[in-house]
Amino acid sequence: MSDHVDGPRQIGDPPADITDLFAFTSPENPTRTVLAMDVFPSAGESAAFSNVIDHRIAVRRVTVAGIGNAAKFQPADDEIRFSVRFDTLKRDEITGNVIQRGVCTLPDGRKLSFTVNDEKGASTPDGDVRVFAGLRSDPFYLAWIAATLEKIPNLLQHDNVLCIVFEFDTRRMLDPANGSLFGAIAETVPTEPPSAISQLPARIDWVGRPEQTNARLNNPAMFGVDDLRDLWNQQTPFEISKELQPLFLQRLKDSLVNWDMHDGKADWTPEALAANANVFLDDFLLFDVAKPITDQSHLEIEKSTIDGRPYQTGGGRTVDANSIDILFTWLVNRDREFLQGGATGATKPGMKVFPYFATPNNEIQAVAESVELAATPDEVWSLIGQFDSAWHPLVARIRLTGTGVGQLRTIEMRDGKEIIERLEVIDNARRFYRYTLVAGIPASHYTGTLEVTPKGGGCIFDWRLQFLANNRPDGAVRRMVSPLLKAGLESLRSRFGAAT
Amino acid sequence: MTALVELDHRCPLATDGEIAAVNLESARRRTWARFAQDPRLPGVAEAIVYFENLAVQFLGELDALDRLDTLALQFSCADNSFRAALVQAEVASGAHCFADARDHLSRAASLGAPCDEIERHLLSIDQACGMNLDAVLAARRRIATASGRLEDLVPLGAVLADLDRFAEAALVYRRAFSSYGDVSPFPLAWVCFQLGKLWGEFVCEPKPDLAALWYQRAIAYLPAYVKARVHLAEIYASQGQFVEAEALLMPIALSRDPEVQWRLADVLIAQGQIEEAETQLEAARLGFEDLLGRHMLAFVDHAAELYAGSGNDRRRALELARLNAANRPTRRAIKQVRAIEAKSNEAIAAANLRKTRPAGMPA
Repeated sequence: MSDHVDGPRQIGDPPADITDLFAFTSPENPTRTVLAMDVFPSAGESAAFSNVIDHRIAVRRVTVAGIGNAAKFQPADDEIRFSVRFDTLKRDEITGNVIQRGVCTLPDGRKLSFTVNDEKGASTPDGDVRVFAGLRSDPFYLAWIAATLEKIPNLLQHDNVLCIVFEFDTRRMLDPANGSLFGAIAETVPTEPPSAISQLPARIDWVGRPEQTNARLNNPAMFGVDDLRDLWNQQTPFEISKELQPLFLQRLKDSLVNWDMHDGKADWTPEALAANANVFLDDFLLFDVAKPITDQSHLEIEKSTIDGRPYQTGGGRTVDANSIDILFTWLVNRDREFLQGGATGATKPGMKVFPYFATPNNEIQAVAESVELAATPDEVWSLIGQFDSAWHPLVARIRLTGTGVGQLRTIEMRDGKEIIERLEVIDNARRFYRYTLVAGIPASHYTGTLEVTPKGGGCIFDWRLQFLANNRPDGAVRRMVSPLLKAGLESLRSRFGAAT
Repeated sequence: MTALVELDHRCPLATDGEIAAVNLESARRRTWARFAQDPRLPGVAEAIVYFENLAVQFLGELDALDRLDTLALQFSCADNSFRAALVQAEVASGAHCFADARDHLSRAASLGAPCDEIERHLLSIDQACGMNLDAVLAARRRIATASGRLEDLVPLGAVLADLDRFAEAALVYRRAFSSYGDVSPFPLAWVCFQLGKLWGEFVCEPKPDLAALWYQRAIAYLPAYVKARVHLAEIYASQGQFVEAEALLMPIALSRDPEVQWRLADVLIAQGQIEEAETQLEAARLGFEDLLGRHMLAFVDHAAELYAGSGNDRRRALELARLNAANRPTRRAIKQVRAIEAKSNEAIAAANLRKTRPAGMPA
């Protein structure tokens, strides 16, 4: 999925794991460009940046050096580099809250200090650069099982990432009069080189276009091949090792052949496919600041150039770009028919104002309890499998409204509280039902599942809840619902006995 | 080997320990939420095991073992592939239920789990049980030579230490430490802790000052590293530095690891604070008994140590130590049984002597 969790080194240290890179024109001001990088897949609400990593976005001017089956994008040697370093955590003297500060080094050497999670970010005195860093909703969405192209819901729903945004005056920073096409990469690099005897290079992760590692080099539909992702992540951006280029190129070709045949049709000639592999080997995110960058323009520069015609858009990648479906469509059928996955957007769309990336999602709370019981699954299910069964010791009575799936139960608790729930799914053969909350608990997206499964001569009773807390701290709602589950399980244990 | 030579290495850079601990908790909670969305999501159950094990190993979050039990149970209900069996094996192994772990591995193999995964788990179990150590050593050497990674070098160092090849173990640990190229503090704190244990407990003539320096490094990488603080406090206490020992333990006094309360009690006793020490000791006893009730085999050796020491119940100590040695007959487990037996015999002999000695005769 994009560049999330793209190798063993990244899994070991999530704040070093770059998930995505973006390049687009500011929706607030068309004279400004935005570059952004995300790290830390599935970051929790307290996630913090590492204090020993430089987070960099490097940009090089690029020229089109060949078209059609000779398509080639040639980067210049000079680099425009934004770099951010973060401090250790500090406690705010007034509020007592934990805060983290950072310093951005701009391409001309100026420094810009900021506080993490400050929505306003920080600006240079003359306003030519703004910087933001903090927790945001993950803008990437993946709604496919990539190996089989089966549509599924967004795998990253409700996820957050740590995001770094640079917004700057395009003319002053990039000087497009000397060429408006650029290639960008993001990288995470330790602030000091590793020890002399380390076999690992200083860089931990880097990203150009989305899915270079997880879909193209490590195609999930190709079995029994070596995982090249760590090796790729250790390459120097813009300068892939000459010795290793044939290895990576061959893998890209094999992978693209495999992608092409996902729908059983060959849409790529061998020559065009080789050209595509060559373009992807030069892994940088192309964007042209003189042309429009839209939610649909991602990869258009590469695609048009390989197709032998001048590109029309600024390519790049916006916050809301459907990058995965654009890529899969190109790889599988060469834009013959758009492949739409099981989701049409991320958890939240991007914002039209700085810092452009949506506010973080509340953390989905999960509460789960299980118990092994010395009773057959049928015995337990006959007690709890009715939606109106008042088996729970804290429940006084239950009233049903309606029948079957969709029916409502109004639960009157012994303490007088009232909870209303809707039956969503019930399967007596598999002995489970799922319900959602209508009213009575300060939470939304509240789903409960009760399930009984056989184990040995007895069974396992499993009760799971997930929800988003509404206008209360997560812990307060957890403390409200956890005792419900525990009391319920304890009553079943007393009634049926615990399996030994 | 002098302490200076031993420590003559630049400490590799790592993310601040407080940030790492915050991020571990952040990632752990978020991964559980993903598991609740769909238990079968690729890699999610396995990631929970990874995060929870880190929480147990470094932060003393022993409740994580209960959470892991829940995970194994729920995952096995939701997934009938080898993934669930492997997770069950890892959870059982982490709780020292090695026979159960082997059963789960057999099932995982029959469900088509990759052979190298199965072998990796079996290797860890054999090593933990002190079985086939020569074969374990050969395998560990092969793996560590191929990868050169800290994660493979530390288990190689550990098996060398188990075989009393201390100088080689120290070399391997130091290589692991010096060659680390990433920035997570957890692996670095781990190898420092292993070197502390090697010099402080494993070698025939312990070097407490050298061990202390490695424990200090482990704590510098990860201030919340409960076990490193406990071991360093033990060294300080053995050298009469009770104030320093207490200062190390107080910040983790609310830890779920009862060993903290036990060592704190020892330090308080040494300083004459008997009443407070009794409170801590009682908390330690209750804490261990609670853990033994839920995860007997995981805590049986540490509880035996408590009862053989200031817990003052040699019969219970011997019973627990024997249980541990039966479950994992390592050299250290057998040594623990013998030491407790010897102490018990001495106590019995002393009691008999007191009975036979005429009243008023000096001891």
